Amino acid sequence: MRAFFANKLAVIGAAVTGFVLLAVIAGPWVLPHSPTEANFLALLEPPSLAHPFGTDSFGRDVLTRILYGARVSLAVSVTGVLAAALLGSAAGLVSAYVGGWTAAVAMRISDLLFSFPSFVLALFLMVVLGFGIANIAASIALIYLPLFARLARNMALVVKEEPWVQAAQLMGQSTFSILTREILPNIAAPLFVQIAIGIAFGIVIEAGLSFLGLGVQPPNPSLGTIMADGREYFQRAPWVLTLSGVAISIALLGLNLLSDGIRDVMDPKLRARL
Amino acid sequence: MPTINLGPASRRLGGALLIAFLGAALVFFVMRAGHGDPALAALGDQATPEAIAAFHKRWGLDAPLVVQFWRWLSGALVGNFGMSMTVAGGVPIADLIGSRLPNTLFIGFYAMAIAVAISLVAGTVSALYHGRFIDSAATGIAVLGISMPDFWLSYVLVYLLALGAGIFPSYGFVSPGDSLAGALYSGFLPAFAIAAPMAASFTRILRTALIDTLYRDHVRVARSLGYSRAFVFVHYVFRNALIPYVTVIGLQVRYLLGGTVVVERIFGIPGIGALLVDAAFGRDYGLVQACALTFLICVLIVNFLVDLLCAALNPRST
Repeated sequence: MRAFFANKLAVIGAAVTGFVLLAVIAGPWVLPHSPTEANFLALLEPPSLAHPFGTDSFGRDVLTRILYGARVSLAVSVTGVLAAALLGSAAGLVSAYVGGWTAAVAMRISDLLFSFPSFVLALFLMVVLGFGIANIAASIALIYLPLFARLARNMALVVKEEPWVQAAQLMGQSTFSILTREILPNIAAPLFVQIAIGIAFGIVIEAGLSFLGLGVQPPNPSLGTIMADGREYFQRAPWVLTLSGVAISIALLGLNLLSDGIRDVMDPKLRARL
Repeated sequence: MPTINLGPASRRLGGALLIAFLGAALVFFVMRAGHGDPALAALGDQATPEAIAAFHKRWGLDAPLVVQFWRWLSGALVGNFGMSMTVAGGVPIADLIGSRLPNTLFIGFYAMAIAVAISLVAGTVSALYHGRFIDSAATGIAVLGISMPDFWLSYVLVYLLALGAGIFPSYGFVSPGDSLAGALYSGFLPAFAIAAPMAASFTRILRTALIDTLYRDHVRVARSLGYSRAFVFVHYVFRNALIPYVTVIGLQVRYLLGGTVVVERIFGIPGIGALLVDAAFGRDYGLVQACALTFLICVLIVNFLVDLLCAALNPRST
């Protein structure tokens, strides 16, 4: 933990991520505007005291929309990535420790999902499942499932040969207890790093899909739909696209710095050299 | 009984073919499970039962699903994906893909070349000067690059370099078949938008790998034998560090091709990515299937080549 606080980038990443979370959770309560209600008396107003990020073509407060939208984007991404982490790690652990033909089939399927361009897979699933918030989360989960399965499997294959795991086997611990109490804690840290990276990339996928019009549907805000709106009238009101883009970059920056920081802290060999 | 030793290359090829087959099955059955009847998609919900039956008979949809899959797959193997139904009514899907694939591949290779060029320079420089200002600056820029999704970066580039400075066109694309120079020029902004986040992650992996190798024993021994710093760097450090670098490049191909989808749409490039989006909006399921499969096969081919390259760089692995 001390190593974490000694790592400046990690602390900055944690602070930025914390700020984003706070803004996304508390912001919409503090701000007086509605994210979806139109106000035709205040169309495309530039940033001012009343509307720090200006208003969009329906007169909606852009800051309010960005905070609500980021809430949606983050929720979709976190749900998808956590589902993938849970199922994928479980599949990877079982396939590494128990093996057998089901494991082989599971790893083939993960190879297959892993070979699709991630955004193409997401788009394909949106066509099959239909456009909508829950389906974006499902797409993100399917994209990340093979990654977590592989990561957990590769690490578990190493850890399961360790003496303490063999000791646990000899003491008659159940397979489930060995997996969750002996192996999982020892491979958890890289999984957490991957979760942080995954959430950042999940935000990009959601925003990309919604930006194309295949994800969250208007008038519901998400970072992607706000940017798509902003593109329509970029020449007249550049602040909508610009500020929503800056918002997405801040969120990604925090998550990327945080995951880098955790990784550096966890790898003392690298830390000593860098 | 003589055993046949399939070399690692042919084993990998076999694996890639298996994945291509599984991918075709996934694309076909998942689409059919999700959307049931293509007749309803083509004729609309108000279609009469007679019209639907006639449509089924005409397109062979009255056969069992596995037979249909076999027909679709054997057609696909000889480049026959059927007709586009809604996006370009009556045009063979293979023609659509054939005319658009070169544009996507061009943008993909272009982006890859830019990312590799930037990262080779930035990664080497920041490893050689690690801990100094130039290294921190490169790392900072890299983190910023990763935090800019391609569609957002596209607009920044268009705003600064196309609308602002007027150096590049903001929209439109000259096909490489018509004019290579025109394609390089009009494709620069889209390729750069895809390349920038990748260049950032390539730079970081190269930097880490180089620093990691710089302190290995064999490098120290080579230095103590009196070889020059530059010689040791090129022959003992760089070559070893290339292995993780090339591996990561291979892994990133799927992000790169995924990136073409949005960027083609923004810059109006007639490629497979834009075609896939059109097909998704038009609910042209056959076209969606064919585009997804084309993307998958592109990734498999590149990954196969990367595997061969890695094996050549690292003979121990085979």
